Amino acid sequence: MEEFTNIFVGEETVKADSKIIYDIAIIGAGPGGLTAGIYAGRSRLKTLIFERLSPGGQIAVSDQVDNYPGFPEGISGKELTDRMEKQAVRFGAEIVPDEVRKIKKEGNLFELETASSGIVKSKAVIIATGADPVKLPVPEEEKFRGRGISYCATCDAAFFKDKTVAVVGGGDTAIADAIYLTKFAKEVIVVHRRDQLRAVKALQEEAFENPKIKFQWNSVSEHVIGENKVEGLEVKNVKTGEKVLLKVDGIFVAIGTVPNSNIVKGLVELNEKGFIKTNQNRETSVKGLFAVGDVRDTPLRQVVTAAGDGAIAEFSAENYIKNLEYIER
Amino acid sequence: MEKLLKEKDEKYIKDLFSSKLESEVELVLFLQSEGGDKVTKFNSQYLPYTEEILKELVSLSDKLTLTVYKDDKEKEEEYGVEQISALFVEGKNTNKNVIYYGIPSGHEFSSLLEDIIDASRGTTELSDKTKAELKRITSPTEILVFVTPSCPYCPRAVRTAHQMAMENNNIKGVMIEANEFPEWSQKYSVYAVPKVVINDNVQFEGALPEDAYLENVLKGAGKIILE
Ligand SMILES: Cc1cc2nc3c(=O)[nH]c(=O)nc-3n(C[C@H](O)[C@H](O)[C@H](O)COP(=O)(O)OP(=O)(O)OC[C@H]3O[C@@H](n4cnc5c(N)ncnc54)[C@H](O)[C@@H]3O)c2cc1C
Repeated sequence: MEEFTNIFVGEETVKADSKIIYDIAIIGAGPGGLTAGIYAGRSRLKTLIFERLSPGGQIAVSDQVDNYPGFPEGISGKELTDRMEKQAVRFGAEIVPDEVRKIKKEGNLFELETASSGIVKSKAVIIATGADPVKLPVPEEEKFRGRGISYCATCDAAFFKDKTVAVVGGGDTAIADAIYLTKFAKEVIVVHRRDQLRAVKALQEEAFENPKIKFQWNSVSEHVIGENKVEGLEVKNVKTGEKVLLKVDGIFVAIGTVPNSNIVKGLVELNEKGFIKTNQNRETSVKGLFAVGDVRDTPLRQVVTAAGDGAIAEFSAENYIKNLEYIER
Repeated sequence: MEKLLKEKDEKYIKDLFSSKLESEVELVLFLQSEGGDKVTKFNSQYLPYTEEILKELVSLSDKLTLTVYKDDKEKEEEYGVEQISALFVEGKNTNKNVIYYGIPSGHEFSSLLEDIIDASRGTTELSDKTKAELKRITSPTEILVFVTPSCPYCPRAVRTAHQMAMENNNIKGVMIEANEFPEWSQKYSVYAVPKVVINDNVQFEGALPEDAYLENVLKGAGKIILE
């Protein structure tokens, strides 16, 4: 019942105005971008937040966030970011449902090329584009994506009622997904390339206690088998070389993320994995261009760190703008 | 039944509607009694909730009305109802072509709010280029969007279909709640949402940006893509 009486109202979106110059353009409405939006709004800066999908970012697909301070019973990711969104809008940030395709700096102004709002100009830019899941590295990935291979457990779990599914990965996301999937599937097999999990202990304990969750240790995915949809996952034991065919109807993949840094490729300095390098002010190698959250070269990628980054970046951006105006005068 | 909308959400929606709505919008809901030919065994439990949400919603603005047709074969025919529940958003720029099969709940509730505003004002936020391209579609074109209420990426796909339907009434924009219609979903091999099917011949999975979405719709409608 709860599943469909859980109603999300959302916030109003607006169109970007290509005739004015915004103070701060934030790209991405995940926890990082929304927090920057809250701070910018409170500073009464003219602020836009671009979002290509739906506000909330990656955490919106998590049904239970247990490590964000202030919610002792935990909170669903969507509920948490809904609140952040309301808070940002309350202070005047405007959310634009559009994708930014490219960023250029002309003199002291940034020009953002968008999918449907034309060119939008701003004095400072905060990149909060987060990361996307790494695709399952098998030759059949494209063929079976959406036909049994999924990257969103909360979205697609319902299609696997009373079925057997595999979860590939051993980190927090994989184990949280496995636990969530037991509400639907009859059996969940966690396929992990090591002999122990990387996920936090609290999640591990919950998974080990769950009778529906089985583990396929030391195993990597080799092939997805099936006619028109997933019917099995062939895995190889990295120690023995032995191959096993797991009979599964679905494969949920959580083996890490790739940064969404394409829009600034060639403009700012990235690390070898494509994450954006910043200094402690969250400023990139381009003055006035800041980066926060999962897209940033950072040791920990979480909601709380993305939010912290958002606050610092906005503070730095505001100083940058003040300085700019001072010089111009 | 307990109220489904929270008080603070009601207040938000009331304010939103009072500042945004212009002309009247009619929500037309089709229901059937248990055992009806268009109810599935999976969704009869959802029907009272669907009706309740909509009742609560229309009470938040005097510009909104809810018409319920229950077991009404004639009206079902007139609207081209395929399954129950079916909800039509009837306003300035729609003509029985902005449709929700199954409960507009979870993340899809926000789609419904936005649809109501657009239908009341007779406008959409599609880009000028998209609007112009959509004019080329002159024959009936159906966009099916399969969703689950817990999918945060789905409302964008639904809204794009509905906005396109509002811009060109040859287009039917159809949301289908996959949990309630497993057979319908199976017919199109839906294992991940959002899944979009255009005229039964072009389909894609995942949330696409407006321009790529448009390209698929034009392709599905048999139009050559001009650059
Ligand atoms: C299943 C799952 C469970 C998790 N559980 C937890 C947890 O319990 N606790 C925790 O702290 N963290 C958790 N995380 C990690 C957490 O979700 C991320 O660290 C956090 O969301 C990062 O926030 P962000 O704002 O940097 O980026 P994201 O959340 O990735 O948001 C980026 C946003 O930018 C948008 N975007 C990207 N490119 C563009 C563009 N060009 N134009 C416009 N918009 C764009 C995207 O659509 C997205 O909405 C989890 C992650 C997953 C996937």
